[in-house]
Amino acid sequence: MDSLPWLTAIVALPVIAACAVPVIPDKEGKTLRWYALGIGLLDLALMLFAFVKNYDLSNPGFQMVESYAWVPQIGLNWSLAVDGLAMPLFVLTGVVNVLAIAAAWNTTRKPRLFYALMLVLLSAQLGVFAAQDMLLFFFMWEIELVPVYLLISIWGGPKRLYAATKFILYTAFASIFILIGALAMAFYGDNFTFDMAQLGMKNYPVAFQIAVYLGLLVAFGVKLPMFPLHTWLPDAHGEASAPVSMVLAGVLLKMGGYALIRLNMELLPDAHIYFAPALAILGVVNIVYGAFAAFAQDNLKRRLACSSISHMGFILIGIASFSEVGINGAMLQMISHGLIAAMLFFLAGVTYERTHTLSMEKMQGLAGEMPKTFALFTAGAMASLALPGMSGFVGELTVFIGIANSDIYSNTFKLGVVVCAAIGLIATPIYLLSMLRRMFFGQAGKLELDVPTSGWLDVNPREIAITACLLVPIIGIGFYPKVATQTYDTKTTEVASTVRESLPIFAQRRQANPFLSSGLFAPDLLAEVAAPDAPEDA
Amino acid sequence: MEAIYQYAWLIPVLPLLGATIVGLGLISYNEVTNRLRQANAVVIISSIGIAMTYSFALLASQIQGHAPYRYSFDWATAGDFHLTMGFVIDPIVSVMLSIVTTVALLVMIYTDGYMSHDPGYVRFYSYLSLFSASMLGLVISPNLVQIYIFWELVGMCSYLLIGFWFDRAAAAAACQKAFVTNRVGDFGFLLGMLGLFWATGSFEFTEIGERLSESIANGSISAGLATLFGILVFLGPVAKSAQFPLHVWLPDAMEGPTPISALIHAATMVAAGVFLIARMFPVFEHLPTVMDTIAWTGAITAFLGASIAITQNDIKKGLAYSTMSQLGYMVMAMGVGAYSAGMFHLMTHAYFKAMLFLGSGSVIHGMEAVVGHDPVLAQDMRLMGGLRKYMPVTAATFGIGTLAICGVPPFAGFWSKDEILSSAFHANPALWAIGWLTAGITAFYMFRMYFSTFEGEFRGGDMAMRKQLKLATLPNFGPGAMDVRELDATSEGEDEGHDDHHDSEPHESPTTMVLPLVLLAIPSALIGFLGMPFANYFEAFVHAPGEVVPTLAEMAEEFDIVEFGIMAGSSVGVGLIGISLAVLMYLQRKIDPSAIAKKIEPLYNLSLNKWYFDEIYDALFVKGSRRLARQVMEVDYRIVDGAVNLTGLATLLSGESLKYFETGRAQFYALTIFAAVLGIVVFFGVS
Repeated sequence: MDSLPWLTAIVALPVIAACAVPVIPDKEGKTLRWYALGIGLLDLALMLFAFVKNYDLSNPGFQMVESYAWVPQIGLNWSLAVDGLAMPLFVLTGVVNVLAIAAAWNTTRKPRLFYALMLVLLSAQLGVFAAQDMLLFFFMWEIELVPVYLLISIWGGPKRLYAATKFILYTAFASIFILIGALAMAFYGDNFTFDMAQLGMKNYPVAFQIAVYLGLLVAFGVKLPMFPLHTWLPDAHGEASAPVSMVLAGVLLKMGGYALIRLNMELLPDAHIYFAPALAILGVVNIVYGAFAAFAQDNLKRRLACSSISHMGFILIGIASFSEVGINGAMLQMISHGLIAAMLFFLAGVTYERTHTLSMEKMQGLAGEMPKTFALFTAGAMASLALPGMSGFVGELTVFIGIANSDIYSNTFKLGVVVCAAIGLIATPIYLLSMLRRMFFGQAGKLELDVPTSGWLDVNPREIAITACLLVPIIGIGFYPKVATQTYDTKTTEVASTVRESLPIFAQRRQANPFLSSGLFAPDLLAEVAAPDAPEDA
Repeated sequence: MEAIYQYAWLIPVLPLLGATIVGLGLISYNEVTNRLRQANAVVIISSIGIAMTYSFALLASQIQGHAPYRYSFDWATAGDFHLTMGFVIDPIVSVMLSIVTTVALLVMIYTDGYMSHDPGYVRFYSYLSLFSASMLGLVISPNLVQIYIFWELVGMCSYLLIGFWFDRAAAAAACQKAFVTNRVGDFGFLLGMLGLFWATGSFEFTEIGERLSESIANGSISAGLATLFGILVFLGPVAKSAQFPLHVWLPDAMEGPTPISALIHAATMVAAGVFLIARMFPVFEHLPTVMDTIAWTGAITAFLGASIAITQNDIKKGLAYSTMSQLGYMVMAMGVGAYSAGMFHLMTHAYFKAMLFLGSGSVIHGMEAVVGHDPVLAQDMRLMGGLRKYMPVTAATFGIGTLAICGVPPFAGFWSKDEILSSAFHANPALWAIGWLTAGITAFYMFRMYFSTFEGEFRGGDMAMRKQLKLATLPNFGPGAMDVRELDATSEGEDEGHDDHHDSEPHESPTTMVLPLVLLAIPSALIGFLGMPFANYFEAFVHAPGEVVPTLAEMAEEFDIVEFGIMAGSSVGVGLIGISLAVLMYLQRKIDPSAIAKKIEPLYNLSLNKWYFDEIYDALFVKGSRRLARQVMEVDYRIVDGAVNLTGLATLLSGESLKYFETGRAQFYALTIFAAVLGIVVFFGVS
């Protein structure tokens, strides 16, 4: 290990660069956009270089650890590290943000503020994924809300203020639970600490775990989003501009899934057993409910937003599966959805620039005028409906195999979950293909198309390049998933074994405590788990 | 011999490369690529040509008796779980590879003529090539997951190809319908696959079969559950091979260009379902209920398809229903355990049905010269007639195809259909009776089609009929689907000035289209001799895994001429009855078909309206899912959102909520909170 504080540099670079934005000489935003893109690319290059040089794929533990006392009075440490969970999402954040900055090429309204906020947002997201101190994690989580709020409320659509307010109220209110949870865990026991590794070593009583877990579940459930906390998402996406939607769907939603694994599963494994069946059921509800809600939307971006809700359900099921394969699938689904959602929202933005409407009712026959957009949109929709050969399929298939082979649920429960989740397989193409049909098929000429300033009616080379940057990894992972899975496989295996270690403990406690065996909690856990030597493998 | 097997993965990869190169060209250098036109076609045709040659080499090697070859590698891992991919070459694979590549090659050559004036010529070739690659990948798959992968890819290609003419509303609806219907089947396929994996821990066909029968024997899995998984997997082929009740997409799929109807919807893709049943044979054969389900589904489909085909006037729709009916035969064969017979019919059908479809394309091409580029007019047999005079080669080849499909000896269809029927008779006489009756109906409707198209007087100039056909299509379009004024304009324009724009007589198609027809006529006529019951070379080569097949000498010895005579005689007999009826009604016009139709009007309408499947499904599923979606949105908006909004925004809703948002005070509050947090941190940091 070399001693350079790589992670600190990577996390801090964009925000420091953002401070310089007000003083950069700028003509019509043209210098600024190169500046912002340059910073983004530099940051991405730095992280790739740092990971290639220092990251060991076979090590499941934390790597590149950097820890400095920041505010010792309140126990806040600037403590960063990455492991198999964080590293892939860290890179995903870099990629999606760089592409979002490139997608915002024609921002003419308050460009200075826009690019500064995008850079701050990038830092905050990276901070969330790298933070190993729970207070720092909360801090980063909160910082990230502000730029998103402003980005929606200043550059959004007609109802932007409503959407932005809804977003900030939902997420800010819910994230109070993170703070409460952090404080509760920090003060528990003898040593006061916010350090996640140490928090994980404490032995919390089950009731305490359940309370904290529930709070965190609300906080992360809003972000993911999980039914019934999802209603801010369609509004936010419907109003946000395309680059913000890319970041929102591509990265911010993944923070919810990431935090569920990082905090809820790793720190509170006992409580996780109680909630796992509920998570699986909520996952199924997300999938089916999101799919049908999407089908009913006329607004293109709202439809895509609802499809995100649907796809996030697979993450919940994977997390709840208690198997290596399932958690692996949840991780893959996060990465894959990050790429696919970013691509679709970007293309929706491309279309919007030409049509000036998001209502599919008003579009028709765009394929004649915009054949390349049609082709790329079709590719995106196919990826999203989990076509084999693209990453979404591998993610969903792995989750399916994980839950089907999970040994802790009764067969009836598993059958129910798998069958209901598979309904999503039928519903997803219905809403995505009907989206394509209404937008691109049929006779042209219903809508007056507007040629953007670049002079290309169809996608221009910059837009093709952005799409390609997302499509190449989507297809790459789809063809050979190992390129993605090997970056986190050792870690997800470890997470699975951590939560599985709690199974025998849980079984003993359940026998001792009539309250826990009342059937309300973990209703469908298999009786065999009660045996201390529960089978380790599927 | 190892070397030629090691590189067998090239067979699907070559067309994939062709498709990728052309596809990338279309995206990056659209105009240049489109201008190159035939150069693209050359690239793609030669890639599939090499794949075909390679396939024949593998076939030859397998015929010589080389051992099957298997290769696999780790594709995805999670902890101890490994998912492998790879390829396998054995007799059935080598036969399928040869069928797919030959038909694909001929269809591609044909496409050059058929699509020569289409602006999407290059795009069509890249789709064709992508489709061939997926289909070939499916064929060489060694396990269920890989089959599922290519299965879906094939479905996606068919989506792209059916929706090829994206400006047609009917095509847009048809491609979506095809994909979603296939997804319903895939839903079952995936669930069944997961269930079998859960039960046996494997995705390999033979392993699943062995372990499953073991588990059933020692009672760890109930036979009912295993049967359920089997039937779920069978749902996949039900959708892909257009079996009842998921057959509704196939006729609509005829909205795609005709070459693709020949390749996908006749010869190869729909056969994928039968191929999967063949692959799953080691699993299914231990589950008698599943086998019965398969057999009866096939029998019902065979009859259903034939009963609808009788009344169709669109030449392609008629062929589509006949395809469905023939696929029913193959599935029925699989269900009664006649593995080789089913595969043999798949092979003969692939050749003669591809030829029939390409022939219909040639007819449409000829008709378009007279009636214009309008599928409603160009494909309707009521406007055809007498085309033999103008298109002799098309007529001759179409005639051979008709004889083959009707089971007239010695054409290919006779041998394969006869083998299926005799196997069905041994399994269950009721199945045989359905198959036998269907054979009669098939002979009738195919000759009806042949006579209405090629014999009699040419009716293409019948303006009254044209107008009637155009008007009949109007209600089929939804509001806004097509500009009605435009429709009037085209039909009026044709009324007045049609002689200026169009020929009054159809003409024979160009060589690139006629050549594939002639080449396909050869196997359609002769390939049946590979599977004669007394010298069944095909069965000796392709048979179910583990099945002991008699050698050729034994076959000849066992061959019972009397039994063969009875079976063949009865099916030829019923075929002849059908043909005679068709002769009387459509050639000599001694019986008036419309009078019969009037007499049995409810039945006639039932057949004409395809047993009202579309209407029922539309009411149940399409409208149902829309209603459900609307309700979900209502619930989402009013209840879920409402409830959370109430708890979250209780203060806001207490009176001046609107003002609150408008003045942007929320924005201010959020910033205040943020600043306060930041301030605290900084303060502590400094002190």
